[in-house]
Amino acid sequence: MPETQHPIFSSYQKDNRFYDEIFDQEGNVKEMYKTLFDLYSGHSVQDFAKLNDKAKASFFNQGITFQVYGEQEIKEKIFPFDLFPRIIAPEEWEHIERGVLQRSKALNLFLWDLYHDKKIIKQGIVPLDLISSSVNFLDQMNGIDPPGGIYNHISGTDLIKHSDGNYYVLEDNIRCPSGVSYVICNRTALKRALFGVFNHYQAHTVTDYGENLLQILESVKPNGVDEPNCVVITPGVYNSAYYEHSYLAKSMGVELVEGRDIFVEHDFVYMKTISGPQKVDVIYRRIDDLFLDPLEFKPDSSLGVPGLFSAYKKGNVCLVNAPGTGVADDKAIYTYMPEIIKYYLDEEPILNNVHTYHCSRPDELKYVLENIDKLVIKPVDEAGGYGISIGNKLTKEEIEKVKVTIQAHPRKYIAQPIMSLSVHATYIEETNSFEPRHVDLRTFTLLGKDKEFVLKGGLTRVALQRGNLIVNSSQGGGSKDTWVLK
Amino acid sequence: MDYTIHYKAQNIYKQPVRSAYWQFLIIPENNDSQTLEKAVFTNSLGVPVQQSVNGYGFETFRVAPKTTFKTINFEAKFRVFKEIFNPFEQLNYRDSSIDRELLRSLQFKVTHERFLKSTPTTELPLVRALPFKFDEESSLFDNLKTLNAWIFNTFKFKSQVTQINTNLSEILEHKHGVCQDFTHLFCAMARKNGIPTRYVSGYLHQGIGYLGDSQMHAWAESFVPGTGWVGFDPTNNLLAAENHIKVAHGKDYADCPPIKGVVYTTGGNTTTYKVLVTSAKDTMSQGQNSDGSMQQQMGTMTQHMEFQDLFPKNGPKDQ
Repeated sequence: MPETQHPIFSSYQKDNRFYDEIFDQEGNVKEMYKTLFDLYSGHSVQDFAKLNDKAKASFFNQGITFQVYGEQEIKEKIFPFDLFPRIIAPEEWEHIERGVLQRSKALNLFLWDLYHDKKIIKQGIVPLDLISSSVNFLDQMNGIDPPGGIYNHISGTDLIKHSDGNYYVLEDNIRCPSGVSYVICNRTALKRALFGVFNHYQAHTVTDYGENLLQILESVKPNGVDEPNCVVITPGVYNSAYYEHSYLAKSMGVELVEGRDIFVEHDFVYMKTISGPQKVDVIYRRIDDLFLDPLEFKPDSSLGVPGLFSAYKKGNVCLVNAPGTGVADDKAIYTYMPEIIKYYLDEEPILNNVHTYHCSRPDELKYVLENIDKLVIKPVDEAGGYGISIGNKLTKEEIEKVKVTIQAHPRKYIAQPIMSLSVHATYIEETNSFEPRHVDLRTFTLLGKDKEFVLKGGLTRVALQRGNLIVNSSQGGGSKDTWVLK
Repeated sequence: MDYTIHYKAQNIYKQPVRSAYWQFLIIPENNDSQTLEKAVFTNSLGVPVQQSVNGYGFETFRVAPKTTFKTINFEAKFRVFKEIFNPFEQLNYRDSSIDRELLRSLQFKVTHERFLKSTPTTELPLVRALPFKFDEESSLFDNLKTLNAWIFNTFKFKSQVTQINTNLSEILEHKHGVCQDFTHLFCAMARKNGIPTRYVSGYLHQGIGYLGDSQMHAWAESFVPGTGWVGFDPTNNLLAAENHIKVAHGKDYADCPPIKGVVYTTGGNTTTYKVLVTSAKDTMSQGQNSDGSMQQQMGTMTQHMEFQDLFPKNGPKDQ
């Protein structure tokens, strides 16, 4: 195999059970990666160690960090960045782009229906139980018409490439999907470290995200407002994605505020400034629904703004994403996506869904309990990769434990076949060489009034531990710059 | 019948309050049987009062002082005209099998989804056999009426023993509580039998022998097919009629507490308030007047300690 001649690829062990993004079945470098591979092979191991350190330092110095929950103390970490970019061919991207846009639009129509006539439930296509037992369904949203009819202005769709070479959607994130700032920072870091390499490819820019996001926010301004004042609201510096909140505000040129910086008077929202109150028209909120307004939701929330929901209900301010979108990105709803797309758009789904077993259905529960070792068990309402069990990684005792948990709350769990995420060459510090690691892809789709946008690129997340399938950043994953070729 | 409702609340704080925002859900609503003729709301600090519709569509008063203070008093006066009606006359008696079929239809379940689901305070304990069973032979209305009487006869009215979030297993075990608890139980049992039922918050004009929370009252409204929403007051074994002045409804108490507020201060506080409902027929001495000094039944009042708790560690997770 030619690549083994290069020392940095010497410990690259191909595993044909997985789809390798770089090498074909015979171990030859795929056409698209050839230039890149040749350029990289020209470098010594020491060069790479140096470049890697530089990239890390650059991230830390820029403060591009995140925090991990669930540990005793809150730790600030950098999101490990990998020097080997992922490349997506134009025709492949075109398919993804159409697919994620289709899903976002279908979800938006679904949300409108759920908060208005609920036709899809009345017709028995989606079970009533999925909304009546969902903590994310907000009764207060019933009958509200959000500006422009948009609920999920920002969607983050997670895709994987299975061993069959096809993309599958793992989940749709339509509450506060995060990660887009890393997409842009990864590009900046890669261009700084390896401009000579980047220059050999014609990749789409990702730095236009901020201006497109601002256009989306402005497109859903309240009636009667000419030049809307948009802000980003953050829970504060202790939130794991604070860096991103500040980055987005900066890249749009709008104010970053916390709950205490704004107030509501007579159903209008104002921002406190040194020159007096300034009206706020559109809020990109990175605060969960239940923390938005202590008068309407969690009464002990100190992150939100008292009276905000009434101002929204009255149409004096637009919240992005709309409150109550969480009901549609519930993992139990995910399994109905093919039906949802057909129902609202009268189209076949462009992207595949992973087959899902509902533990709430007795026959499927039976299958799940008997086949846990072949399945991934997921709670329906946890974000960030928490609470996931991967069947073939569990001991006998652990399997029994999982069985008990599922049987106690069948509605709370779904199961899916273990999908084999594709692998990509990833620089590993410990071995000072490239090794295959599992990757996924998060795309970012924007919907506004008469405007839509899909970021040409995305966040390729890497599971840094050998064999690990969970790529979420909260679980110690890294990321790669992702090039969509022109 | 003309009623005058006089509502007074006093809040005294040990330490100065830096910032506060209150919402009062105490305004009688306008509906088929009642008309709000006058509403006046004032406070001792002279803070301008905002009127705003809450997330469930009910009118509220809001007060947000801009200065530091230690004491604030609120006072509301309402004049309400209430039709005198006999709730039994409005009932449409019909074959109950049609009604039962309707309750089972998906269309009906979806339309009334909000008032059929259980909430933390209207959830019946799983282990226990239902203490009250509906009779398949009699009409839905008769069953609800029997449920109303059953609660009245089985449970003892006892104030100060339960909290606003006391769950039903506790109520069922101790067999006592106040109007909120009985209403939660009524809602739970009616919903369990497929009848959409909502929690109502309002005022009770207390005639001789009526039980009630001395402050605001609670009762239930069930959707009886062919008739519409009918009010049941399990605390008094009555159908809601001219003495029940409605303010708001919701799934349970948490959807419609009379006061919600966010208060930033460091010390404790004492809150007292009273409600007086008088009709044109009453002389002042006959009106029921009671004081309370309690945290309980008061509403969802959250006090924030300064600096502390401003950055909760387990805040919302990003996806």
